[in-house]
Amino acid sequence: MKTLHRSIWMVLGLLMGGAALAYAQVPAPQVDFPYSGNRTAVWVVANLHILFAAFILGAPIFAVVAEWLGYKNNDPKYDRLAKEVIKVTVILYSMTALTGGLFLFVLLGTYPDFSTWLIQHFFLVFAVIYPLLFILETIILYTYFYSWDSMKGSLKGRHIALGILLNIVGTVTLFVIDGPTAFMNTPAKAAEGVSLVEFVSNAGLWDKMANYSWMPLNLHRLVGNVTFGGFIAGLIAAYMFMRSKTDEERSYYDWMGFVGNMIGVGALLLLPFMGYLLAYELCDYDASICPYMMADQLSMFFEMQGAMIGLIFLASNYYIWLSLKRIEGVENIRISGFVALAVLVMPAVMGMAWKMFPPPEWQSLIYLAALVFAPMLLGRVPGLKNFTVSAFTMIKIGFLMIVVADAIWMTPHGFVPTQGLATHDLELPEWAEELALMPAKNAAAFTLVFLTIVNYIMYNRAIKRGTIIWGKIDFASQFVLIFLAFSAIWTMGLMGTVRSLTRKYFHVYNLVPDFTPEAFTPTLSYSAWWITGVTIVFYAVVSFAILVTLKPASSKAQAH
Amino acid sequence: MANQSFTKNVLKKATIGIIIGVILVVAAQQTHFPQVFQVMFFIYAMLGAFVFILLDAPPMKRLEGVKAVGALLVFYLLLSGMYIAGASILPQFDPTIEAGKIEKVLKRRKAASEQGKADELIARAKALDERAKTISKQLASLGGAAKVEVVEVTGAGGGAASGDIVALGKEQWELQECYNCHKLFGQGGKKRGPILDNIGSLMTPEALREKILNPKSWMAEGFDKQYKKGKMPDKYRDLMFEEEIVALVAFLASLRDTSVETPKPIKMN
Repeated sequence: MKTLHRSIWMVLGLLMGGAALAYAQVPAPQVDFPYSGNRTAVWVVANLHILFAAFILGAPIFAVVAEWLGYKNNDPKYDRLAKEVIKVTVILYSMTALTGGLFLFVLLGTYPDFSTWLIQHFFLVFAVIYPLLFILETIILYTYFYSWDSMKGSLKGRHIALGILLNIVGTVTLFVIDGPTAFMNTPAKAAEGVSLVEFVSNAGLWDKMANYSWMPLNLHRLVGNVTFGGFIAGLIAAYMFMRSKTDEERSYYDWMGFVGNMIGVGALLLLPFMGYLLAYELCDYDASICPYMMADQLSMFFEMQGAMIGLIFLASNYYIWLSLKRIEGVENIRISGFVALAVLVMPAVMGMAWKMFPPPEWQSLIYLAALVFAPMLLGRVPGLKNFTVSAFTMIKIGFLMIVVADAIWMTPHGFVPTQGLATHDLELPEWAEELALMPAKNAAAFTLVFLTIVNYIMYNRAIKRGTIIWGKIDFASQFVLIFLAFSAIWTMGLMGTVRSLTRKYFHVYNLVPDFTPEAFTPTLSYSAWWITGVTIVFYAVVSFAILVTLKPASSKAQAH
Repeated sequence: MANQSFTKNVLKKATIGIIIGVILVVAAQQTHFPQVFQVMFFIYAMLGAFVFILLDAPPMKRLEGVKAVGALLVFYLLLSGMYIAGASILPQFDPTIEAGKIEKVLKRRKAASEQGKADELIARAKALDERAKTISKQLASLGGAAKVEVVEVTGAGGGAASGDIVALGKEQWELQECYNCHKLFGQGGKKRGPILDNIGSLMTPEALREKILNPKSWMAEGFDKQYKKGKMPDKYRDLMFEEEIVALVAFLASLRDTSVETPKPIKMN
């Protein structure tokens, strides 16, 4: 009897084993996204997810700063601004989770082997740390939002502390998830004599997280998110300004647009340098990435980036110009003529300085300091201090130099998709080659940043000495705010594409090759279509969220 | 009245823009800028004119309701069209060139990877076979019988390289994109790495191999900065197969054009 039982169990075991084998032998159907292909599908979903994630991380930074300013200056406008931004954030938070889940499913379905490989290498991050942080962030965000009205007066300080905690958790979440992302670009560098495969196989989680591009990517995304948050606040303000029926509402949303733009531009000033730091680290990790970005397949992507950054700087300064025009008494504001002179020579002087002393050599800072501080000092010397120009003249000189700086930034070595195809009739003459090199590009970037700062200094002076009439701004300014948000999102999409493409035909650079037929660099034109599509979808969702969440009438009632 | 003055403003700024543009084009012609750059300078001049027209433009009328929504939609369409058109006007890299290159570079890796998968399957099949045999023996001892068929899985082997080894080495030169940093036959490279036209006369094949696998082992005279910064990637020992390295070394060793000045290699460690 006992033998019979054992036989039955054995046969059952074999049958089950056979069934399991049969199940394992039924191949999973191949996932093939129609029209776009698998890689583009992953790209689109990832891009969309990152945009929502950038917003929900950037907006709370913006909001808590605004809330603190309102608390410090006892100005309820700031508090209302902060609350409205957080209201939209709460709505979009679910979209971040939704697109995140969608991204995971699409990635697992289209690249199952690689996805499993990556999850196994960062299992603790994906299965424990990241979900816990996300849950914690969700709890804090909802508590922060729903306790807004109850934590007033003496409790306001605690509410702001809650906002700071939200941002700390958000930033840590960003840094944690940046680890695997940066790892795909610059996997841990192997010690001498050890192969990369061997090194990564034995590397601990921290070795893989703290890779070459991790911290530069963290900083770049953090600053980018603040910029993004500022410009989206500007977008909210523009929509609401257009919907406003009363002068009071228009006055408030005009002010909100100004604050959003100021924070967006303030962070934008740091962005070129953060991007440079990231590119520097990528090139330091593997020097062959540099020509791929700057001289080979991606060179025209950077040409487009130059155009976008130029347009964003032009638009943000145009907004300052329109803002200045509605200040009574602005015609009396003057600035040292030496500032105008410094601006005129800045691209040439700094280009030469960085050519002689390329970063990280410190000597170029002497030239930089001389250009920045000499006008201030000369402007105080008796006899010279009367050499001044009006605010409007200074801004016009500034715009001229913005166009010049844009032109320098956008001048390539050759109008070719890769320098390998360069011929004499498509490339710069030898004597002008410097125009296409990094010193000239850095000088152009610095000029754009410096001019924007000068414009804000003048704006501050104008506010202090004149009378600002909120709500009376040129209606065109609202389109400028919308343009800034749209262009910032588009540029984020473009640069995200570039960062991802620097992995070339690898899922993880130099480590895990992508054997699919789609593992090539798409054309800029193809990329632009998809980036525009993603931007429009994101914009439509955000616009819907703004229009559903905020209503001028209800806002008014709330303000009362 | 305001419209008239704005029209005047537009005409004035546009005229100035065109004049500056023409001056820039003539200056660019005289200084040997190719035509494409001349066009670019003219566009910048017109961009400047457009910016200055905007600066003095009269305030825009407020839009409300359907008009505002319509204006927004048109604005978004305009922006989308502008960015797509801007990106499409720029020169486009032909992906098929790269796709062909990638296929060649990854061919061996793919074969090796598939071989790896096949090896894994064979190992699994063997383990299952062992288990089945054990169970069969147990069943046999109980009076039953079972016949287990084991399917042998054979791996796909990679084909050996064939043909002229120097030609294969030249292909490796292209595939590994050495030309991005090194000038050869008057093409490629800028200042990142030394010209290599006569490298075969200056380095033995063993030394060339050593340099490829360990870039810190040799330094080209006058390239101290690049050497210190580690500009030459140390990835080739991981990325290239033995046959590929041998071919590349053979190609480099064949470069003996003494008429081209090639920086002297210095042994470092």
